[in-house]
Amino acid sequence: MSRMPLPLDRHIKPKLVGYDPTRPRPGVERLAYTLFFGSLWALVVVAYGLVPALFRSQGWLDGALGFFFYAVIEALLAFGIAAVVALILIVVLRKYLGKVQERVGPMHYGPAGVLQTVFDALKLLGKEDFAPANVDPLIFRLAPAITFVSAFLMLVAVPVAGGWVMADLNVGLLFIVAASTLGAYGVVLGGLAQGGKWGMLGAFRAGAQLVSYEVPLALALLAVGVYSGSLRLSDIVEHQQGLWHVVPMFIPFLVYLVASIAELKSTPFDLPEAESELIGGFNTEYSGMSFAFFFLAEFVELFLLPALVVVLFFGGWHGPLFGLDPASFAAQALQSFYFLVKTAVWVWIFMWIRATLPRFRDDQLMDLAWKGLLPLALFGLILAAFLRMFVEVV
Amino acid sequence: MRGPTQILPTDRADEMLINMGPQHPATHGVLKVVIGLEGERVTRAVPHIGFLHRNHEKIEEARTYPQIITYTDRMDYVSGLQNELPFILAVEDLLGVEVPDRAKYLRVIFFELYRLASHLVWLGTGMLDFGAITPFLYTFRDRERILEIVEKTAGARMLPNYFTFGGVRRDVHPDFFKDVADFLDFFEKRLPDYYALVLDSPVFQARAVGVGVLPKERAIARGASGPVLRASGVAYDVRKAEPYDAYPEIEFEVPVREEGDVYARFWVRFKEMEESIKIIRQAIEKTPKVGPYKGKVPARMKVKGSRYRAVEISRGHLGAHVVGDGTDRPYRIKHRSPSFANLQLIPDLLVGARFADAIAILSSLDPVFGEVDR
Amino acid sequence: MSLLAEVWEAVRAIGQGMAAVNRRVGESAVTEFYPYQKPEIPPVSVQFLALIQNEDGSDRCVSCLACERACPSQVITIERKRNPAGKGFVLERFDLDFVNCMHCANCVEVCPVSAIVTVGDFEHAVYDVNMLKADKAFLDEIGRRAQVWYSPKFGVEIRKPDGSIEKAPPEMQPGGLAELLAGEEGA
Ligand code: SF4
Ligand code: SF4
Repeated sequence: MSRMPLPLDRHIKPKLVGYDPTRPRPGVERLAYTLFFGSLWALVVVAYGLVPALFRSQGWLDGALGFFFYAVIEALLAFGIAAVVALILIVVLRKYLGKVQERVGPMHYGPAGVLQTVFDALKLLGKEDFAPANVDPLIFRLAPAITFVSAFLMLVAVPVAGGWVMADLNVGLLFIVAASTLGAYGVVLGGLAQGGKWGMLGAFRAGAQLVSYEVPLALALLAVGVYSGSLRLSDIVEHQQGLWHVVPMFIPFLVYLVASIAELKSTPFDLPEAESELIGGFNTEYSGMSFAFFFLAEFVELFLLPALVVVLFFGGWHGPLFGLDPASFAAQALQSFYFLVKTAVWVWIFMWIRATLPRFRDDQLMDLAWKGLLPLALFGLILAAFLRMFVEVV
Repeated sequence: MRGPTQILPTDRADEMLINMGPQHPATHGVLKVVIGLEGERVTRAVPHIGFLHRNHEKIEEARTYPQIITYTDRMDYVSGLQNELPFILAVEDLLGVEVPDRAKYLRVIFFELYRLASHLVWLGTGMLDFGAITPFLYTFRDRERILEIVEKTAGARMLPNYFTFGGVRRDVHPDFFKDVADFLDFFEKRLPDYYALVLDSPVFQARAVGVGVLPKERAIARGASGPVLRASGVAYDVRKAEPYDAYPEIEFEVPVREEGDVYARFWVRFKEMEESIKIIRQAIEKTPKVGPYKGKVPARMKVKGSRYRAVEISRGHLGAHVVGDGTDRPYRIKHRSPSFANLQLIPDLLVGARFADAIAILSSLDPVFGEVDR
Repeated sequence: MSLLAEVWEAVRAIGQGMAAVNRRVGESAVTEFYPYQKPEIPPVSVQFLALIQNEDGSDRCVSCLACERACPSQVITIERKRNPAGKGFVLERFDLDFVNCMHCANCVEVCPVSAIVTVGDFEHAVYDVNMLKADKAFLDEIGRRAQVWYSPKFGVEIRKPDGSIEKAPPEMQPGGLAELLAGEEGA
């Protein structure tokens, strides 16, 4: 019989790495969030303001080569924005959930845990990207990419300030609907391709959810389009010069809010995932970077859907300009700041809802969408048409 | 012939068999339910138990009476202390041991503290099944305070081994009554939050009202007990039906609800928590300030005869049948455990429900597998 | 109209829930950082078992085998021999298999001399179960480094800095309430 070894202090004494993880540091946290926000703003200013301005002023956009470089640089910058947004939102969400749940959230990586996502990303990169035996390899690998690309595409059409938009599409609203629907394809395909029953159920649910929320969502967007007389997103924002759309378009706003939470797949509508029912649903079998792409897409959407709420209903970039010329660079930078602040508030509200509510059942979501939101959205559409008529007549 | 838990795959193309458990997050332990699904609708549900079987009753028959108390704790480990009581009561009856008043009240206080702790665990994990993470952390924090109070006196948190023949093992910590009173005040302030997050939440109501309806007759026929039975309109509570310890001297109500759905089962447990607060308050007031905490027990226990005693633990009617043959070890012990009986309702309630409802129904039954499998 | 009222009721209830969640933001967290911060454990807490030696270094244990008999999981193995000098027995072997020990403290309860006690020393997770099979030297070592321990017979005892052993004040005793009250009445 082997004996216990002496001395007894076998357990490893933790080493402190320059900072004390046990101490809550509200100051450091606040500073970090400010820095996060600042870096995001700086990135937005570079991507939307400086680079296009530079290319335009030099006249490089006329040549094919110049345009090609412009497109590549912008695409990289957009990817950078998406990545930074996801990196920030993951740690912010975890910290926020920690706060409301009387925990501290991540604390160990970086002072007060603010670098947590960096380490998370490194971990996911280092993990084996495992695929079970009976998956459909091509679709299994493609699905996360589809989901991520769709989230990424939506970013392109969102205007952040007057004249600052990557692609000022005249069918911006339609583009948004199309791009967001594409994301659900990734979820459905990913669920079906993994050949597991939980994934399949998740895919079914994702499909059912898609057809139910997408109709009222599109109708709510349409109402906004009708009221503002354009499908171009920057026109819609311009149209809110005097009055934000949330007042005349309150019903479409409510419809859009509920539908976009459903699109985000966060509680109360996280049916395709439903970790306590379907053990992760469509991402049950994903690991490593494939999983990271689903995750990344989710958090990019957590930024983009609130951003669309702001663009469509809360006046987009509008805010007091303090006498600056709206066409000047400083004014545009300020506008993009307003836009980001409003978006941050809405991100917070989305997180708050996520922290509070339990999950709906799949048929209840369909009930809600088809019997509740759809009539409401139609009513909103009619109302928008009448309001438009009224505005034009008067 | 097929065994009772065998389930054969059909050749029906529209039915999918799915193994829920034993590692599924919503089965709260090691239950496995083979579920037949048509889309999202459950067509069959066959529970498989026994993953945690450890021959409880046989082990107990090979132990002396004081040793057995330790094992009874391990049945319903969520409300550990409560499980000791039926066995202890039965042996006390057989030995003719007098329990002093102070011990009776102390037992009631601990008993109800564990009911609170157990209902808090149920509430947290139940809401986790419903997809809400936040209540889980709140309830576990509150439960932690209960366990800290218990640990100060009993020396352990979940399986304290504190009751003994003739009373309790030791007197309470000097701060005990103050701690408990403080906790009750604190918890009363917390309850409205739980109402707001759970019972009053429209999303929860949409999920729970009218789901998994258990008719009264069916509940009685299957031997359901505890909140599951009371939510179906039967006002059966062992604390009232066969009062033990100090319960006859304490006033409290038995919450009953007629609907028998998931919402009613949640409601009944919420009201039970409120009743527990009342009971503990009364018991603290009525506990004799000084006095023995343990009655006289013969040093060599020779138990002869047979006796069945039951108590109302958090999950229902827990009974112990002790048969002594005059030696220091029991000839036979049989435990009647509430979760095991409640689990028989799974096929009744799950078939015809949607898959998401199945999860909700399981969490409203609140089985604990230490006690189901024994 | 009733539909509107229903919708309003739902929105109000959701708002209440959200307010309840938001109220927690200002409150301090309850998280403990375990390896950095040690939890406070009451002296009675059964975390581990130890053999206590007298102040002069002799065993308290009188080899009565009561603990061996009381243990429900039968993990205590004692071998004793006649004391060559004087009466009684001395221990030859005292093995305790912590792998199967349930930490029920039945052994502590029956010990007539409080030789085996419960201590609050909980950091004994190991990689190999065989390392949890303790012998007398190990249990003695845990007893030697314990500052506070509990046994029902003597209550909580503390080791003073000078090595002498003393009973703790009633405030620290798990069953100290009656004692305190009796003291008050006597005064
Ligand atoms: S604590 Fe219980 S199981 Fe462990 S050695 Fe003592 S009597 Fe045996
Ligand atoms: S009961 Fe106490 S004295 Fe007797 S053998 Fe065990 S440790 Fe030694």
